[in-house]
Amino acid sequence: MSGAQMVLRKTNSRTRGNQIRWAPLLFIAIAIATLAAPARAADKEHGTLIQEVSMHVAPDANSQKVAMASRGRDVLLVMARSTVGGKDWAQVLVKVDTSRMEPREVSGWVESRMVITTATPNGDQIIFGEAVDSERQGETRGGRRHAAEDAMRLYYRMQEYFPNSPLAGEALWRAADIRWQLEKAGVLTRPSSRERSPEMRMEIEDETMKELIKKFPHTRWADLASYDLIDNKLCGEWKDDVRCPEKESDMYEHYAHEHPESPKAAEALYNAAWRQAALVEMFRTAHQQDKSEKARKKGIDIATELAAKQVESDWGPRARALIYALQQNVPADLTGRSFGR
Amino acid sequence: MKCFRFGVRFAPGCARSAKLAALLAAGLFALSAAAADNEHATLIREATLYASPATAGERLVQLERGRDLMVLERKNADGNQTWMKVFVTITQGENSRQVTGWLPGTPVVTAATMGADQIIYGEAVNAEQEAERRGGRKGAAEDALRLYQRVGEYFPNSPLAGEATFRFADIRWQLDRSKTRGQTPVDEQLMQAVIKKFPGSRWADLAAYDLLDNKMCPEWKGLADCPLKESTAYEVYAREHPRSPKAAEALYNAAWRQAALADIFRIQGQPASSTAARNRAMALTQELASQLQPEWKTRAASLLYKLQQNISVYGISQ
Repeated sequence: MSGAQMVLRKTNSRTRGNQIRWAPLLFIAIAIATLAAPARAADKEHGTLIQEVSMHVAPDANSQKVAMASRGRDVLLVMARSTVGGKDWAQVLVKVDTSRMEPREVSGWVESRMVITTATPNGDQIIFGEAVDSERQGETRGGRRHAAEDAMRLYYRMQEYFPNSPLAGEALWRAADIRWQLEKAGVLTRPSSRERSPEMRMEIEDETMKELIKKFPHTRWADLASYDLIDNKLCGEWKDDVRCPEKESDMYEHYAHEHPESPKAAEALYNAAWRQAALVEMFRTAHQQDKSEKARKKGIDIATELAAKQVESDWGPRARALIYALQQNVPADLTGRSFGR
Repeated sequence: MKCFRFGVRFAPGCARSAKLAALLAAGLFALSAAAADNEHATLIREATLYASPATAGERLVQLERGRDLMVLERKNADGNQTWMKVFVTITQGENSRQVTGWLPGTPVVTAATMGADQIIYGEAVNAEQEAERRGGRKGAAEDALRLYQRVGEYFPNSPLAGEATFRFADIRWQLDRSKTRGQTPVDEQLMQAVIKKFPGSRWADLAAYDLLDNKMCPEWKGLADCPLKESTAYEVYAREHPRSPKAAEALYNAAWRQAALADIFRIQGQPASSTAARNRAMALTQELASQLQPEWKTRAASLLYKLQQNISVYGISQ
């Protein structure tokens, strides 16, 4: 029972005269209680669900179901726990916070074992592990429906509840990346994704990526986030406009040099070199031999830099294949190139 | 007397025919030696095979990336371009046909090209990436498969040979599996070849892991036999290939199947078997929890929690 409710019950037991006399004091007490409520809620134990569960009106599996709560939902433990029939139950308040809707809160009883809280030993590892499971499900053909969204929420909750965990940075990165990929897939289904200019299409929401860069600056996670953010600056379809591969090549090259330790640095250099190879063909078709030759040289230079840096990985042979193609005037394969591809 | 040599009938007089036969034999030997001397080559872009060294010539066939070519002749023609006369065997299902024709030289990489192993391997990676991309080029997986195959065949001593040979076998495996949908076993020949060619290597470990697919049941149907058999197969793999990149995954799969078994036995009303499976799952999970890879360490932590709390991984919770 909240402080405000207790004050009201005491007030009801008094006479009308007393009420009048106590009115100013009562107003102050309610005000204090109202202000204190959010502070207490913040102090409450938070947790999240590692399986989809039914919420009940009472601590009994046979009681009426209030709602289904999916994995990774933010759970606020409102009331004390209760043991009924040998099972531990908890009355919880679950935040249903879809990105496009106003947050909604549902209260009910769930089995305690399904809720991993900040007090659960190895809670960070359990939530992270469950998120990995969901992520793999999301990648499997015929995997569980909405498994990717489950993974996204679980990763996000993990870093929210355990900000000092060694897994926090990776968890926030994975949450941000899954959200990015889901939103990107949505953007790609719209006709505007084929527009040349990136301003002509809806931007991929970058809020979580920016949160990550702010929380974990100069880490590999921040490097990875910066790489994803390039997507919003890429042309839809090039439509034979050389400005697109020119601008994109510059962006990728800039990224590779700004983030030399990034796991995406090699890919960025390859993308920069490949776009120069594409420019060779585009300028040649436009009978601009000088520019075509300039792009060819630049492409070879960037690919050579990549081949020298990447001796052990797949990027080394890919760079050498590109150098060979540029040297032998083997045209770049431009079929089906468009935003995000 | 009838003298037959090399399928040619010589008559009359075997002395002359013997001389001719000797000449023919020498000629055939020289031909086969020349064929051996001819360069092997492959394509890094799709190209058209022409009847003569000119783009205006008759088109014979479209050749995909990674086709095995035998270069017979080189010529400068059609605007001072290098053209190559090649011999190619095209196999489609059960049928194969051999075609000779001319190709522009630009998309052809021969075994003698400097760094050819890296170039062909790099193109194979490109094709593989293309195949994994939604809306990627049609036939890209088959292109990758052929290109990796060429690296292993042409450059058996390249440092990339092992990886290329495994990836060739793996793409074939995945393509065959997607066709059979796990209903019938996949042909093991290529995977067995990887194990034989590179024994004790990571590629042999990876090939052995793929082979486990053939031991999996298409459906469990709620029975204990399948998860029991599969758990054993995964655990044996993890023990026999402790340094494999797939060892942790195998151990997790073994543990998860034991956890599923605990649920199946519980549903079947066999509490003793259920407890034994649960204990086995916990032991395997605890072993996995000592892993350094965060992915498997955390998945083990999550599975362990479920086992401790009696949260079902298969079917309905207690």
